[in-house]
Amino acid sequence: MEERKASKRCGGVFPFIIGFLATCILGWAVIPGLFFEKVEQPLRFSHAIHVDGQGMDCETCHYFREDGSYAGFPTNEVCAECHAVDPGEAMEAIAEAGIDPKDTAAIMAANLDVIEGALASSDDENKKAEREYVVKYLIQGKEVPWLNYQYQPDNVYFSHKAHEGLDIAELAAMKKDLSDVVDPAVFDEPGEHNCNLCHLKDIQKNDTPPAFQRNVLSGYSKMTMKMWKCERCHALKGQPNACYTCHK
Amino acid sequence: MTVGATVGILFTPTVWKALDDVSIWTQNWPWIPRLKYGENKAVATVSKMCESGCAVKVRTVAGEAFGTMGNTENPISGGGVCPLCANGVQVKNSPNRIKSPMLKGEAVTWDKAKEIVAEKLAAAGSKVAVISGDQTGTINEVFSALLASKGSDAFYAMPCDMQSACKAWNGLMGGSGQVGYDMKGADVVLLAGADALESWGPTVANMKAFADNEGGKFIFAGPFQTKTASVTSKWVPVPAEGMAAFTLGICYYVLQAGKSVPAADFDQFKAMVMSGYTPAKVEAATGVKADAMAEVAKQLLTAKSPVVVPGGSVGAHAAAFALNLLLGGGMKVLPEFAKAVGSAMSRAEMMKNDILQGVNADLLFVYEANPAYVLADQVKAGFTVAFDCVNTETTAAADLVLPIPHSYERVDDLASPYGLPQATYTMGAPVCKASLDVMNAGDFVLGLADLGFESFQEVIDAKVSAIGADADSLVEGNAFVLDETPDVSGVTLAASVLGKAASPVKGTGAVAVAPYTLLNVGTANQATTPNAPCTISNNQLVGDKLVVMMNGTTAKKLGVSVGSKVKLSGGSGECQALVQLFEGVMDGVVAAPLGMGHTTGDEFSKGKGDNVYKILTVSSEAATGASTWAGSTVNVAKI
Repeated sequence: MEERKASKRCGGVFPFIIGFLATCILGWAVIPGLFFEKVEQPLRFSHAIHVDGQGMDCETCHYFREDGSYAGFPTNEVCAECHAVDPGEAMEAIAEAGIDPKDTAAIMAANLDVIEGALASSDDENKKAEREYVVKYLIQGKEVPWLNYQYQPDNVYFSHKAHEGLDIAELAAMKKDLSDVVDPAVFDEPGEHNCNLCHLKDIQKNDTPPAFQRNVLSGYSKMTMKMWKCERCHALKGQPNACYTCHK
Repeated sequence: MTVGATVGILFTPTVWKALDDVSIWTQNWPWIPRLKYGENKAVATVSKMCESGCAVKVRTVAGEAFGTMGNTENPISGGGVCPLCANGVQVKNSPNRIKSPMLKGEAVTWDKAKEIVAEKLAAAGSKVAVISGDQTGTINEVFSALLASKGSDAFYAMPCDMQSACKAWNGLMGGSGQVGYDMKGADVVLLAGADALESWGPTVANMKAFADNEGGKFIFAGPFQTKTASVTSKWVPVPAEGMAAFTLGICYYVLQAGKSVPAADFDQFKAMVMSGYTPAKVEAATGVKADAMAEVAKQLLTAKSPVVVPGGSVGAHAAAFALNLLLGGGMKVLPEFAKAVGSAMSRAEMMKNDILQGVNADLLFVYEANPAYVLADQVKAGFTVAFDCVNTETTAAADLVLPIPHSYERVDDLASPYGLPQATYTMGAPVCKASLDVMNAGDFVLGLADLGFESFQEVIDAKVSAIGADADSLVEGNAFVLDETPDVSGVTLAASVLGKAASPVKGTGAVAVAPYTLLNVGTANQATTPNAPCTISNNQLVGDKLVVMMNGTTAKKLGVSVGSKVKLSGGSGECQALVQLFEGVMDGVVAAPLGMGHTTGDEFSKGKGDNVYKILTVSSEAATGASTWAGSTVNVAKI
């Protein structure tokens, strides 16, 4: 009888509550963070330096092509309009210096005039990032493998052109309905562009890009917009939600 | 506590998120192809997979080619593309590409390859020859200049209608420039053996001309009702070996109507035709009814701008040119574009040598041609260097194989594909980067001898400059058109030769063989392409079996019927095939598709059907000194 009483006490409400609360705390506060790993961008790219420092517009790098498609990340061809290092000349100088053209660390350490003379940055930290871009990518003819915070899979067709006219100020009327879809803070100070709706807020002011948070299971970005979010906004805006709208 | 923990976790997003992520994870298999993102472009260039070459636009994304379409700005294309060139990207990405230089089956470096070829070139002296499968490229200037530097004139083109036309016009008749045909502007077009809407000449431009020529009447003459004949107004059954006689038979009516031409030998020509090619004699020699010839002649005579487009032997071409001169219609004479390489041969000189009479050299260069497939018995060489981008029977047999970039990876050009009514030059720049260890054949050859250029790009630049074209416009895909006409006053009608050449010569086999080419099946130099086999009909291939067509009368005579397995013996070989009945084939004729039966290649071409070139007989065309396959016959045995 004594044993049965003890057993009844151990299997009572209290342990249940302990277990319940413990996993609730873990499940809300700890485990969600474990789903993601932080991955740094391949280069430190400062939007602030390019926008504030050089007075560049968003459209200089992120533009619509003639056919209406969106250029997305700038290619070397675009970057080279300012970072004017001739890859051929640079490779010749690297060969003359007896450096393996694939040994980017050695090239950066060599401070070659053909590269150093073309760097536009003034302070050491920015110059280092710029040099890294030039040596690792521009003169090697490789595009920078930027990590897309808003990565969408291949089976989703997203047209920037179709969403170009969305006005954040107008959408503010739906702020409550859209609270789960977008960061409500974007409605506080609607800017000239609507990029904040989906992209990192005020990225144009950013000096060091935040780490990309990759889902360890799916591989997607933490910021990847899920289908229900697209559907919510489409429904609120009276837009079609048929499969073929996004899945071509 | 466990129960509490289990219930508690269900009140958090953890389980649901994990399930969601896992469901997404199951879609991320590594073998699922990933899209490449970037700018979509349509880049103009040329494709050299078909014999005439196509002006195309290659669709790219982020600089990677993924599709081919026509080039509306270029008259060679007019927005269309042939079945071979349509699959250019698939061939570019094919596992059948040659990946590095190969010496007798072993990979070698380009430096080693160059060292070997330089050594062989020095030892060969003037016994150097070139076989080119490119009819229109300036690369031929580089190869012929190399031959000239060695004191050789052994430049050979693969057998083609352009060669027959050159031998007839520039050789027999003393003409200059190149013959072309205004099929768009003509009101009556007699296709005398030219399968113009399927495989002859610039097929895409021909089809555009056919489509645009709403009021024109097209007549096809040939041994069987080809796809071209199926859409023309009339099909006149004419055996291939009798085409020259048939054409002269029409000349008879035209001369009778009083037509003349200010040629030095006109009187001789007229006398020859009026006595030797009377309707009765032609009917006796060819089986073509006099009434049929009279009807065709009547239509040509009443037309404002008639044109006769020949196909086949040199004699057939000369007869057609004579008829065109008498009619004064849509036959055009195009000037030849200025050369880039001073010591290079002219096009007529390049077409002069007859590969069917055999090639024998100490050192043989083969450029994008497949003589080992087409002319296995005719080509002999001490050391063969084969330039190609894909494996073929010729590369398999060559001593040294040098991989060249695919058309979309190299600079190249198309100078006046044979058949166009105007001298037309189109340039092709690389659309994408070469993915294999390849080198442009021009660059390799220029490294062997001092021909005045460092690279093939320089040669093309010089060509563009020599002809006076705008390089920027060419890069955009536009054609440069030279609207001049060479002096034709000295042209003769080759009366003395034609009188003999036009007599039909036929083999002794049971039935005549009418070989034909379909571009989706392949050509002499290019096997069928990855997407094309599904378009090959049961009239050409059933399973892996070749299909030949004959009419019911012929089948009855041979004791075969639909589906019979037969062995065709002729030339120096034999073929196995299945029989299909088609009443659009002349009596005593078997129609057999060329381009199949490859022993080297990819899964789409290797072991499919049989090689009809094996059963063709090379015969010398009396008087012209040229060789021809026309008149080939075969014996047919049921197996």
